[in-house]
Amino acid sequence: MLNALDKELLKTIAELDKLPQGAYHIRKNGKTLSRATTANINIETNEKENGITVTIAPGTVNESVHIPVILNQGGLNDVVYNTFIVGEDANVTIIAGCGIQCAGPESQGHEGIHEFHIKRGARVKYIEKHYAGGYGSGKRTMNPTTKVFLEENAQVEMELTQLGGVDEANRVNEAVLGPGSSLLVTERVMTDGDQKAASHNKIILEGDDSRSNMVSRSVIKGKSRQDFYASMVAKARSFGHIECDAIIMDNGTNETIPSLRAEHPDAELSHEASIGKIAGDQLMKLMSMGATYEEAVNTIIQGFLR
Amino acid sequence: MLELKNLSFSVVERDEDHHEQQLDIIKDMSYTFKKGKFYAITGPNGSGKTTLSKLIMGINKQTSGGVYFEGNDITHLSITERAKAGIAYSFQHPARFKGITFRDLLAIASKTDDEEKLLKIVRRVGICPLSFLDKPVDSTLSGGEIKKIELATTIARNPKLAIYDEPDTGIDLWTITPMVALLKREQVENKTTTIVVSHNRSFLEAADEILIFNHGEIIYEGDLKKALPILADFRICNFKPCPEGEKDAQCFR
Ligand SMILES: Nc1ncnc2c1ncn2[C@@H]1O[C@H](COP(=O)(O)OP(=O)(O)OP(=O)(O)O)[C@@H](O)[C@H]1O
Ligand SMILES: [Mg+2]
Repeated sequence: MLNALDKELLKTIAELDKLPQGAYHIRKNGKTLSRATTANINIETNEKENGITVTIAPGTVNESVHIPVILNQGGLNDVVYNTFIVGEDANVTIIAGCGIQCAGPESQGHEGIHEFHIKRGARVKYIEKHYAGGYGSGKRTMNPTTKVFLEENAQVEMELTQLGGVDEANRVNEAVLGPGSSLLVTERVMTDGDQKAASHNKIILEGDDSRSNMVSRSVIKGKSRQDFYASMVAKARSFGHIECDAIIMDNGTNETIPSLRAEHPDAELSHEASIGKIAGDQLMKLMSMGATYEEAVNTIIQGFLR
Repeated sequence: MLELKNLSFSVVERDEDHHEQQLDIIKDMSYTFKKGKFYAITGPNGSGKTTLSKLIMGINKQTSGGVYFEGNDITHLSITERAKAGIAYSFQHPARFKGITFRDLLAIASKTDDEEKLLKIVRRVGICPLSFLDKPVDSTLSGGEIKKIELATTIARNPKLAIYDEPDTGIDLWTITPMVALLKREQVENKTTTIVVSHNRSFLEAADEILIFNHGEIIYEGDLKKALPILADFRICNFKPCPEGEKDAQCFR
């Protein structure tokens, strides 16, 4: 059912050597390849038949859902709408990811729109990895969108990673936070050659005592370009922080615009942004411990994107 | 084991009127450090102590002169090559990273990521608690913590020549004595040639040889007893009051 290339892609994007434990749904070239549900986690094709709805029962703990997408059919632009409903007090990990293997001259793309409804007190860790490979000349695009709605005291941690090979990416993340809820987003993007990536983020702190931290780490190699926009809007007594750092390795370009807006006197918002080359003192330190220049650069970049 | 031959380091600076002006930071310095001995370098701020340390590590490139290590000319070797030859340097202002832990640095320094071996090094160093291992070496570390980590990464390399640039800055009172004892132990047990840049009396007392720097030159070499009057003298001239109306920042040096 899974061929060797599929397996390799799955390993890269979901760290899977074989079919995962627990609930999963594997989508290949726009169709369901394989699925499994558990007593607490249901996965169904949605009404419009353009995606899936994952429903996690209240109180489900220590379970995970894998929903990888793989593409290796030239000329296909796969658009998928997935909805996640995480029941009250559940505590689960959701692992998504998309791998494109491009062998020919035709473009291939994936647009995944993921909507999350996190009920009261639920905790979710969401991990999304994007990777494209193959020797074909076709353009590989990925435009992931996440929309997250957090009810009272919900906690969400999102790790969004684009490791390489994606020619064009337009990432959109939106979140609305209810009272006492918290959201931590870490986005890591590495681009090279002529690749372009843009990330648009909007986080609305709607409930009292909601908290959010958005961290972005960009590594820009070759002549690639990355743009990062993040805006945080506080409508209640809340706390928000944006931290975006970019390392430019060669001749890339980067634009970083964090924006903060407070509509409440007790909002506490802050941001830090930096763009620059690899720091000289970090290189010197590693080289003075015996690392070569190349090893030192690798160590710094790996740490930065960790 | 380490020989400096007519070593000079100068930079060209431009003043407000765009006149180029040469600053000689290390001036025609010649000195031989002997194997297994413990040296303390002291002297006023800006006298060139860090500059010389970085010249030895290869971080600064000399303007003229040469550096010989164990009889080999290393004048034109890179930082990495000097490190591999057995030279290690603890920075006065250690680098702070993102996403890199003490464990990562120790693993690079000691060329092993074996948990047991790493723990053994931390125990041998003694001044860092074991819980430090997974601390990120970033801007959240305190000034004293990062200096302890910096020192540990130097010891972990088992260098033939270890240079510590003001290892005691930010270190609490309770750690100074163990730190001096640690560097002495490394010197005695592993025959590590040790150079400590410091203003701290504990290090000066531990040293076999004291070097006093002033304006890029060695103005004294010898034991502590004869060094003390010179150091006392410095104290006077460094704190002399500014003449009335004097606005020149030089005055505060
Ligand atoms: N690359 C450089 N360009 C210009 N000036 C420099 C450079 N490197 C060092 N200097 C200057 O040389 C002088 C000596 O600096 P150095 O850092 O070696 O002093 P130090 O003896 O270590 O002082 P401290 O006790 O404050 O650490 C200082 O005045 C410094 O500003
Ligand atoms: Mg100094």
